Amino acid sequence: MLPQLILNSIIAGSIYTLVALGFNLIYSTTKFFNLAHGVLAAVGAYIVFFLAQMLGVDIYLSVVAGIFVAGFIGYLLDKIVYLPLRKRKASNMVLLVASLGAFTVIQAIIAILFSSQFQTLSRNIGFEKTYEIFGGIITQTQLIIFLCGIVIMAGLLIMFKKTSFGKAIVATSDNEEVAKIVGINTNRIIGRVFFIGSAIAGLAGILVGFDTGIEPTMGMSLLLKGVIASIIGGIGSVYGGVLGAFFLGFVENFGIWQISGEWKDAIAFALLIIFLIFRPRGLINK
Amino acid sequence: MEYLIHLAILIAIYVILSLSLNLVVGYTGLLSVTHAAFYGIGVYATAILATKLGVSFFVSILIGVIVSSIIALAVGMILNRFKDDYYALGSFGFNVIIFSIFLNWQDLTRGPLGIPGIPRPNIFSINFSENLIFLMLVVLFAVLVYFISCFVVDSSFGRVLKGIREDEKALQVFGYNTHHYKLSIFVIGGAIAAVAGSLFAAYISFIDPSTFTLNESIFILAIIILGGLANLRGSILGAIFLVLIPEILRFVGMPNEIAAQMRQVIYGIILMLLMLYRPQGLIGEYKL
Repeated sequence: MLPQLILNSIIAGSIYTLVALGFNLIYSTTKFFNLAHGVLAAVGAYIVFFLAQMLGVDIYLSVVAGIFVAGFIGYLLDKIVYLPLRKRKASNMVLLVASLGAFTVIQAIIAILFSSQFQTLSRNIGFEKTYEIFGGIITQTQLIIFLCGIVIMAGLLIMFKKTSFGKAIVATSDNEEVAKIVGINTNRIIGRVFFIGSAIAGLAGILVGFDTGIEPTMGMSLLLKGVIASIIGGIGSVYGGVLGAFFLGFVENFGIWQISGEWKDAIAFALLIIFLIFRPRGLINK
Repeated sequence: MEYLIHLAILIAIYVILSLSLNLVVGYTGLLSVTHAAFYGIGVYATAILATKLGVSFFVSILIGVIVSSIIALAVGMILNRFKDDYYALGSFGFNVIIFSIFLNWQDLTRGPLGIPGIPRPNIFSINFSENLIFLMLVVLFAVLVYFISCFVVDSSFGRVLKGIREDEKALQVFGYNTHHYKLSIFVIGGAIAAVAGSLFAAYISFIDPSTFTLNESIFILAIIILGGLANLRGSILGAIFLVLIPEILRFVGMPNEIAAQMRQVIYGIILMLLMLYRPQGLIGEYKL
């Protein structure tokens, strides 16, 4: 029982890590809660569903396309909606409400195109392999989720430390005005950040789809978990998001060990509110 | 005719909801995205009391208002610690928590099965099962709520609320306990939303939790932003617009399932366009 519980927590933590990493990346440069972030996970998953399951395109190609389309839509949202608002120095609340609008529109369009039913997304590999670790069972999909979480985290860390693009992002998030003065095209940087963050969200959505299935509203619950993970970990920092994600995964899974599973979302939000009250800057104080 | 009465009843219910939310968001500047939760508390109060205990409708309104006020008081105390976008996020959280209570406390709410057979009110041998007569009841409540709201915003209490919205620190310097003011208006908003819920439960006679998700809170927010923040007539205008616009889709022969989603597309686009081009809404007096 206990090993399985720990494994489940780690898997949940890995999924939240992916969402939190993308969300945090965007938050750190733009400083607003982009609530449309979660729906891009659904976009990625449904693109794979459409290409692989409805048209029969090769699964790897579909995954790449799904990630790319999610990233591209995130990029477009920035250029069409958020950039004009930022130029007008709109308040965070205006941006938040606009992102709520974007979220509602995209989610509803997905429901119109693919119905609002719950559907399964298969990797076309036939029988799913399972592994046993210390008496707990983990599927191959879940192992992939865990590995993706690690790889993306490492990738972002390397990007921030080693590349000039990563340093430009850090500069933009520290102080956008100064970054502009030293010649960084901050709007272009932010546009790319939206692409990368949204692409990661798309990947998260696809992986969740393989693991449990897809429905148009999947984005919202993923987003909320990602936001909660970011805040309890320490918003705007890579490590913080990851730490928060695993913390949330453990609390949730050990919570439903005692009370029934439907209360997962309520547990997550109760945790958020406790953190907002007692430790609003999260585990890692940035 | 029946159809027009149905729309009028819906509009009146949303007028009540948006007026009460406007007090919180428009006048006081607290971006609350949890209104559907209080609405739902009113709905479940009436539904449970009427079907399980046979309590009269008007008593159940009162109980719904009391329960909703107590919960709003508790929620408001926590939310008051936050500002602006964190406030919005925290209120989000409460909507999700209260929704999961509706969904999962199955002994009380029957969960996803919903509660059928909620009776229409019956008092002084007036038969409210006639939709036209029920409409009059709902409009009566909407007018009442309108005047209460007018009274609140025109009073000295209302002026303090606007002051909090513009500059909370300054008011604190003048010795106002802004915490109490913010809490009071949040409780008033929650209490009024519960009234709308009771009316909705009695009208629609079958309810399930799916009505009280975050989407409903966003919808009510869209109404008041479209109509105009800090303008009571704006809320009425917004409710009429946003309830009627999706109905046009029905006339062009769109199937119900798609029309429901198109409704969301429309109000999502309206929210984005408003933020981009007219953040004060149609006749609003305050920009977010």
